[in-house]
Amino acid sequence: LSHLRLLSSPTPQLTRDEECLDAFQKELDYVYRSLRRLGTPPSEVDDLAQEVFLALRHNWATYDRERPLRPYLFGICFRMSAASQRKRRREVSYAVMEVDEPGPGPDETLLAKQLRAHVLNALEQLPLKRRAVLVMHDIDDVAVRDIAAALSIPLFTVYSRLRKGRRELEAALRRIPAPASRTTPATSGGHA
Amino acid sequence: VSEDFPALSPEVRALLDRERTSPPLSPAVRARALAAARAAMAAGGGAAAPRAPAAWTRWAVAAGLTGVAAVAAATVAYRHQHASAPALPAAPAGTALATEPGPPPAPAPLAVPSLPQAASPAAPLPRLADDGPRRGKVTREELRLLSQARAAVAREDFAGALSPLAEHAREFPNGRLTEEREALHVKALVGLGRGDEARRAATSFAARFPRSVLLPAVRGMSARSE
Repeated sequence: LSHLRLLSSPTPQLTRDEECLDAFQKELDYVYRSLRRLGTPPSEVDDLAQEVFLALRHNWATYDRERPLRPYLFGICFRMSAASQRKRRREVSYAVMEVDEPGPGPDETLLAKQLRAHVLNALEQLPLKRRAVLVMHDIDDVAVRDIAAALSIPLFTVYSRLRKGRRELEAALRRIPAPASRTTPATSGGHA
Repeated sequence: VSEDFPALSPEVRALLDRERTSPPLSPAVRARALAAARAAMAAGGGAAAPRAPAAWTRWAVAAGLTGVAAVAAATVAYRHQHASAPALPAAPAGTALATEPGPPPAPAPLAVPSLPQAASPAAPLPRLADDGPRRGKVTREELRLLSQARAAVAREDFAGALSPLAEHAREFPNGRLTEEREALHVKALVGLGRGDEARRAATSFAARFPRSVLLPAVRGMSARSE
């Protein structure tokens, strides 16, 4: 029976890895979106997403499955983005340079793309820490206490960053010229 | 705590709502990312073994690049999977909105193309998330119904808000926007002068979302209806 013991030992490891990959796969869109919202330039998103996966895998054994995954993943994205930002420290606003999102789907209009770039551009103006809280709260609808846990900061800090971040975002959106505020092509069918 | 919160203006709220429904990754990007992740897993030994992420990444990228066959297979699989993926909501037609004065300190009005969500002139309730039934993705339909209701409440067409709210409750009883729906429901009932129902709805809201930061506003509304 000893060979059974030998054979069985790697199985849980494999299962855990597969489970982690499965979770990553399900949230891949979210990881990419979050990295972009946190200011990662399109050319670096692939690499950073891999770092997120590796960090997730590394911590998967200790990850508390009772907690929602997205805030946890966002926490990893945030830390990776912060480290990467510290490394490059460029002066260029990436969102202005390009918005290399996945090819436009059948319904994705130019305007939708421009609006997205507009929001990313404005988010880019916020310091990363406040941007992270605002994105989590006002786009991802993460509860304040989960934000605090994911970013390892006190509740009060979440509130104050959110308060400041909202003001800054409003101001940034006023400063940056909005796309296509002139004429917008009518899209028949609307939102029904 | 919610009292000191600068509520987002309807225009900004609308832009952020739109950002939520950003398009899915292209099949090629997905395939590339997953192939690299698989390669890292296959090459990397035990997951518990501590390693520097950067080193792992280099390995993953190198291995991913060599796994051309895996990429191709995954691309086909994902293309197939996404063939029926829901598309991004079409950009709404309309002229520039932007005539609503923003919050008092705003130096200039926001110029954004009109969006259904942006139709509300009233300051929206601060949107604060809570746990509970808010799991999964906000669908386009959820957003549409809630936007309708929000816009109706904003123009004080409280009766008109009830229909999209009821439809949302029917279609998405535990949707991601349940909390906002229930808060809007209280507001609509108060607006219609249906005080008893508003109080009952507020009580039910408090029971369902005891930690919601919308709760003070909901309580305030139902108290005013007494």
